[in-house]
Amino acid sequence: MFPKPTLRPLCAVIASAVIVGIPAAASANNEPELSQTEVLTGLENPWDMAFLPDGTMFYTERCRGLSVRLPNGEVEHLLGMEGTDEYATTADDLVCEGQAGMNGVAVDPDFDENRTVYVYSASNMSEPRTNRVLRMTVNSEFTDVSDRTDIVEDIPYKPAATDHPFGDAGAHNGGRIRFSPEDGYLYVTTGDNHNSEIPQSPELLGGKVLRIDRDGEAAEGNEPPEGFDSRIYTYGHRNVQGITFHPNTGQPIVTEHGPWHSDEINALVNGGNSGWDPKPNMAGRGDCPDDYCGYEPNQTEGMDPKERAAYMPVTDTETYPDAMQPAWKNDGLSQGISSAEFLTGEQWGDWDGRLMVGFMGIGFGGTPVGQRINLIDIAEDGLSVNDVAEMPVPMGAARFRSIVLGPDGDPYMAVDEGSIYRITPE
Amino acid sequence: MKVSLFFVIATALLMGSATLQAADKSAGEALYAEACAQCHGPSGKGMASFPALSGRDAEYITSRLERYRAGERVGSNSSLMIPNATDLSDDDIANLAAYISQSAE
Repeated sequence: MFPKPTLRPLCAVIASAVIVGIPAAASANNEPELSQTEVLTGLENPWDMAFLPDGTMFYTERCRGLSVRLPNGEVEHLLGMEGTDEYATTADDLVCEGQAGMNGVAVDPDFDENRTVYVYSASNMSEPRTNRVLRMTVNSEFTDVSDRTDIVEDIPYKPAATDHPFGDAGAHNGGRIRFSPEDGYLYVTTGDNHNSEIPQSPELLGGKVLRIDRDGEAAEGNEPPEGFDSRIYTYGHRNVQGITFHPNTGQPIVTEHGPWHSDEINALVNGGNSGWDPKPNMAGRGDCPDDYCGYEPNQTEGMDPKERAAYMPVTDTETYPDAMQPAWKNDGLSQGISSAEFLTGEQWGDWDGRLMVGFMGIGFGGTPVGQRINLIDIAEDGLSVNDVAEMPVPMGAARFRSIVLGPDGDPYMAVDEGSIYRITPE
Repeated sequence: MKVSLFFVIATALLMGSATLQAADKSAGEALYAEACAQCHGPSGKGMASFPALSGRDAEYITSRLERYRAGERVGSNSSLMIPNATDLSDDDIANLAAYISQSAE
């Protein structure tokens, strides 16, 4: 399935490892001070990371492809997208546009035996384009990948621009992929493509969380409503870019972007509906731009987020009374909620067990931009939030795209500005 | 000579302050860091859904900001750009255009 490999890099890039060591504000409580290490910099829109136990870090760049940083700091470029030339292998069908491109990456739970990694990427192999989940084998030297198999080929991709904010092609593309440590299945988060038919569709895989095995088949025990694609675990989502699992219970928890209001954190219920349905001519609405009401009643001017939420709720419990209820709604604001990951370990003191949630920042209609990491004390069942604080990360404000816990227990944070940081407690 | 100098100064004062400020890159840099960098990136390379500004000339930046300031919709991010441009003065636009066209990489 791979096109011919291109020229190999002459030598591996030595990744920068600049320790900045800016202490965060001291705390009277049992909260650690933080220092940061810039693990990689000069990247182009780094999107996700996945670790092996020895610290090997796979990472994606949205318009470039998949690379790996070895424990000694060397970097190997493995799978490049259309237009790249320094990757061991290039796949010209892998394309990027707008928010789409190469997004999530995950390593197989049995990597030691099968050397398998997975990525989520837009592809033009099908017409129209789709998002795919690719499975590949990494060679023993970590210098190349082979045996590409597309285990999911039919995740919708937004093919053309529409009359909406962020309305370019490739929008609302989801893209996080994670294995559950509890059930061993791969969870795949998708987006609604600014297409109102997608979130509640029983067949279209956008606006969903899929739960599949390593061949892309439906996980045993998925319970979507009758007539739904059996790969669907939950539906009725807008654009899910974060998923993690409670360290004590395995409860899957997602973050979901809000439309000018109400970023959400949701605990997933097998077969559940998240209640997003932006179709026109229903729930008190009339016609909408390009048949998508997601930013109504007014998609271009600022207005009270509460009024927006009443008119076009992210979780429409009037239409769908059984919809999954969000544990948290970011005080009714939309600020680009992205990745989520639990902090675990005694070294984190009072923060042990807190959910880190990244925000990329969107300043619209009087809403503060809000670039930050929140530390959220969420119940084990994921249904309620006890406390929300801001994590005093040394790098300050940035477009926090991805947060992943490394094998050392430290969170690694990718920012759109082009760096991946490691945060260490002192 | 005095007359000539007076004439030069008077002419300069009569010209739009935006023109006088066109080379004030440092003011543009400060405003860029405050108002633009969060989306377009610290060096103007663009990020995510937000386009690159590096490589754009001053005329382009000025024209876009003036159109956004006038409330004109230009592209899919207009909803974000129009409110950001509403309160910009001619000086602000000239300073930003100078900084972005000459410094942002």
